[in-house]
Amino acid sequence: MWEFIARSLEASTIFTLAALGELLGQRSGILNVGIEGIMLFGATFGFIAAQNSDSYAVGFLVAIAIGALLGSLHGFFSITLGVDQVVSGMGIWILGFGLTTFIGNPYTGPLGMDRIPTVFGVSPFFILSVILVAVMWFVLSKTSLGLRIRSVGENPSVAEVSGINVARTRYMCVVVGGMLMGFAGAVYSLDYNPVWNYNFLMGWGFIALALVFFSLWNPWILLGGSLLFGFLWQLSLNPQLFLPGVFSRYIWRTVPFVITLLVLMVMSTKWFRAKWGSAKPEALGEPYVKG
Amino acid sequence: MRIGARELKIEKRPSLSGWHAALISIGALLVALLLFSVLFVLAGVDPLEAYRGIISYAFLNPFGLPLTLNRFIFLLLCTNAFIIPYRAGLWNIGMTGQLYMGALAVFGVLALLGARRNGSVAVSPAILIPILLVVAAAGGAIYAAIAGALKGKYNINEIVVTMIMNFIAFWLVSFMIKEGGPFMGRGGEGESFQLPEALNAPLIAGVPFTLLLALGLALLLNFMFARTTLGFQIKAYGKSPAAARYAGINPVRLPILVFAMGGIMAGLAGYHYFAAVPGVYKITSNYGYYGDLAFYGIICGLIAMGNPIASIPVALLFGGLSIGGRYIQGKLHMSFGVDYALLGVLMITLVGFQYFYNNQIVLKTNRESLNKESLDVGVHSPES
Amino acid sequence: MTKELLAGRERGATILELRGITKRFPGVVANDQIDFEMRAGEIHAILGENGAGKTTLMKILYGIMQPDEGDIYVRGQRVKFHSPLNAIELGIGMVHQNRKLVNAHTVTENIILGHPNAGRVLNLRRAEQEIDELCRRYGFKIDLRAAVWQLSEGEKQVVEILKALYRGAKILILDEPTSALAPPETKKLLSSVEAMADDELAIIPFITHKLPIVLSTSHRVTVLRGGRVIARFDTSSATEQSLAREMVGREVLFRVERPAVETGKPVLQVDNLSALSSRGFMAVKNVTFTVREGEIFGIAGVSGNGQHELAEVLAGLRKPEAGKVTLDGAEITDAPPLARWQAGLGYIPSERNAVGSIGEFSLVENVAMNYYFDDKYARNGLVDYANIRKLTEEMIVDYDVATPNADVKAKNLSGGNLQKVILARVLTRGPRLVIANLPTQGLDVGATEFVQNKLIEAKKNKAAVLLISEDLDEILAISDWIAPMYEGEFMGILPADEANRERVGALMAGLKSEREAQ
Repeated sequence: MWEFIARSLEASTIFTLAALGELLGQRSGILNVGIEGIMLFGATFGFIAAQNSDSYAVGFLVAIAIGALLGSLHGFFSITLGVDQVVSGMGIWILGFGLTTFIGNPYTGPLGMDRIPTVFGVSPFFILSVILVAVMWFVLSKTSLGLRIRSVGENPSVAEVSGINVARTRYMCVVVGGMLMGFAGAVYSLDYNPVWNYNFLMGWGFIALALVFFSLWNPWILLGGSLLFGFLWQLSLNPQLFLPGVFSRYIWRTVPFVITLLVLMVMSTKWFRAKWGSAKPEALGEPYVKG
Repeated sequence: MRIGARELKIEKRPSLSGWHAALISIGALLVALLLFSVLFVLAGVDPLEAYRGIISYAFLNPFGLPLTLNRFIFLLLCTNAFIIPYRAGLWNIGMTGQLYMGALAVFGVLALLGARRNGSVAVSPAILIPILLVVAAAGGAIYAAIAGALKGKYNINEIVVTMIMNFIAFWLVSFMIKEGGPFMGRGGEGESFQLPEALNAPLIAGVPFTLLLALGLALLLNFMFARTTLGFQIKAYGKSPAAARYAGINPVRLPILVFAMGGIMAGLAGYHYFAAVPGVYKITSNYGYYGDLAFYGIICGLIAMGNPIASIPVALLFGGLSIGGRYIQGKLHMSFGVDYALLGVLMITLVGFQYFYNNQIVLKTNRESLNKESLDVGVHSPES
Repeated sequence: MTKELLAGRERGATILELRGITKRFPGVVANDQIDFEMRAGEIHAILGENGAGKTTLMKILYGIMQPDEGDIYVRGQRVKFHSPLNAIELGIGMVHQNRKLVNAHTVTENIILGHPNAGRVLNLRRAEQEIDELCRRYGFKIDLRAAVWQLSEGEKQVVEILKALYRGAKILILDEPTSALAPPETKKLLSSVEAMADDELAIIPFITHKLPIVLSTSHRVTVLRGGRVIARFDTSSATEQSLAREMVGREVLFRVERPAVETGKPVLQVDNLSALSSRGFMAVKNVTFTVREGEIFGIAGVSGNGQHELAEVLAGLRKPEAGKVTLDGAEITDAPPLARWQAGLGYIPSERNAVGSIGEFSLVENVAMNYYFDDKYARNGLVDYANIRKLTEEMIVDYDVATPNADVKAKNLSGGNLQKVILARVLTRGPRLVIANLPTQGLDVGATEFVQNKLIEAKKNKAAVLLISEDLDEILAISDWIAPMYEGEFMGILPADEANRERVGALMAGLKSEREAQ
């Protein structure tokens, strides 16, 4: 049982880190639907680097670096070139999906390193993710930088005339966001399930994307959502722990996805919106042209 | 950038003609293939030899060509499954799930008619094959319409929804065909039962009749966009949902409609691969691979800029590239996934080239800055 | 105004000077050798029609645009602005007509946004104290913790002024400062402006129409026409007539003819209608009125008092909460937009670009937006584009639309021309009821007159016209009935001959006494 909870927390860590990266970008007005692609990149390159160097540190650093690189690629397309953010994000996802399948294939199989030690039975990354949520909340709501980020996401032209460099702020957010997504991928492939396989994520990134919508762009709600989905995901993998013999295991695998849809629906009802208002950054997804 | 007395400048493009769009698309394609040669070089393969191998196997080889054509039919249907909602400004990336549902619907009807138990059905193929087509289309349409309804009624992001529904459908197929699932074949683990032989899709010169179906639908769609009121409504909604609503277009019904129409295409693609391609005639254990291929539909649709006619050559080319890629991967002993990598590189290059839909590179002489001699980068950059 | 007060320490010293400012655009000289100076403590209005070069001059002053020729001097030093930031650093502040505020943020957050001394970790309490101090000094009243979207237009303007002052502005540019304000709000603003001038700030209001404001507040006036400085007065020596003459270049008669048309049966009947705004509060409250054939019913109100929501409910774009709407006797309360078009409603929306047209569509396709459902232009599910093209070409001629052909994309048309296309498209249908929501906003004098005359023509053709306008003069000039709207309610429905500026102005500001006096 404790094992199950620890695994759930670890799964939620991956959701939290990736969704936190997405949340930061969205707060600055940049939608990145390529989150799963960046995670695949981080996971695959982190895996390869760790295996070749026999060092977890190298693996994570490489994953974070590749995340930053892809984040800046998304920035280049959507901020500098003004390409539709959805198109660019889809491009990054398909690039990640296609290229990692090819590049990672020779590494198919287990990582073959000692497991990362736990702290009181919990993954250290879980603790880190909670700290990062707190940091993100503090930065966004209590600091001048956070005010700038939120302004850029709400109304970039106002931010610009107030003396804020919109492009730079947005770049910073998508790059840091990309780092978090790359890191999340590496937590998957180096810690949670250290085996490389073709397209192993199977939707983690898209659930993380949905989690950002659930969170009303609030890091604490996001953490709550991640915990719930970490649990659900783990349950879908091990239904026999709670409900042995009910449904096929394949049906259980659909559960996190079905619940994602249901939550999205509840959140979009008039009742919910009247109660919680719309927290969506006003300029989300809109390219900004200076002047 | 300056070249002598002349200067290269980037300017906003006032308008984009179809001709320019085609040039940009071709340019993107050439750049992507150029980039992709890097992967060949890294794998110790001569890119020219590799491309020659791809093209000759895909389009000239008697074994390769039928494979290419079958994949072409599949991609054309998937591309149009993407294009219809895309013209309404909506993203259908759920072709994968929709084609699974189409296939499940087909095998569901057959299972009901006892095909799994008896290996044959009592109904005449002339009646049943059309029914199977309708059922496949309906399966895809209903599944896709859910995404359209969630978008139209609740304004839920259709990208997230269609993708999540892909995963749901993926696991549903596993449930149906594996570990004692209702469609599991009698012999093997992890595959569906075989389509009764009498129901194998009729072939025309070795190619399933779905070829004509896919081509006909592409032409029909083109006509729909160009001439019909429905096409007008879709285009208006795609350019501006607010203005469309003002003009009396129903903002709930339209997303449902375009997704359902896209779902029809994807459902037929499911029928095609699992019930019409010679040598398959079942839901195979590697059905995930066909689902992944559906994502080529996004790329084809974007390159074709949402034009159903343009999607025909594009889908043919990409069908060939993916078949040929698979082939040389084996022949040149490359790592698995050449076709996947190609998919990724094509997509990201295409994204970069989106920029040139709105901007153009203009060559100006310094003295006469109003001289508008424009050079389209789509033509020139690959050669440089 | 007490001009004696100008004798202060710095008072009267020139703090800003423009010399020979020229800015050209392809085909136009927007600013032609403009000279201008500001003294500390002075209110120096710049007056001019749309297209006189005001906007360009304002952008140059605030560093948004750079002049082709000429120099700017601040306190005697020549300066160059590369961006508004340079202007802000030198103490120039701008109050934009289309407010530059973040709706989701609080007042305080908006004011400190981008301030160099905001600190890494925000100290909102300290900022609030400082802003409170400014408010006390100049007589502003505002809830600093309210989100901007909750504020009225007047309050938003106050936030913009506070933001500029908080940034240390000594020279304040006000873009059309009273255009979105009701008369009492205007009064409050002007007294604050005077308090600021007494405090040695230099204030430059840019004004298009409101001559009385110029006369009552400013010390000097500079009149622009055709990009040039045409005249400069000490305000004490100017009159409304002299200003108007200089501004327009001829004697002006602000009149459009209002023909009396025999009114017929009721076309639109609205009964106790209520509706929510997008933000979820009651924007339209129990509104009841009737519009008959051959009359123009004008709704006057400051923006944000529910008139926009009312128009949307009538057009079928917003669901009413309560009440009943009938068109020619048939109930349409819950009818979808298409059914209303078919029943003879024609809606001219205020959002010309976002709702009224599709920028990426050609003019033919834009015209098709109102015809694709007509049997005459679409049969058997097919759109008869050839016929619609013919119709579009006729409209281009009849409505004098400046465009090379009917295939031009709507986004390439000027605002006035686009509005003509929308007007033509709606009126050519021969609608029973025309709802025109801010039909002349942002148009130049010629186009405004054109639109107003077309609405009058529709009335002559026995249509019922519902005109919604924030321009009180427009409402008074062409309406047969006038309903001032305030916080979602009609403050009365006056026949044209009983309405005058003062009375309607007071009602649209929500002055109850006036209402009860009726």
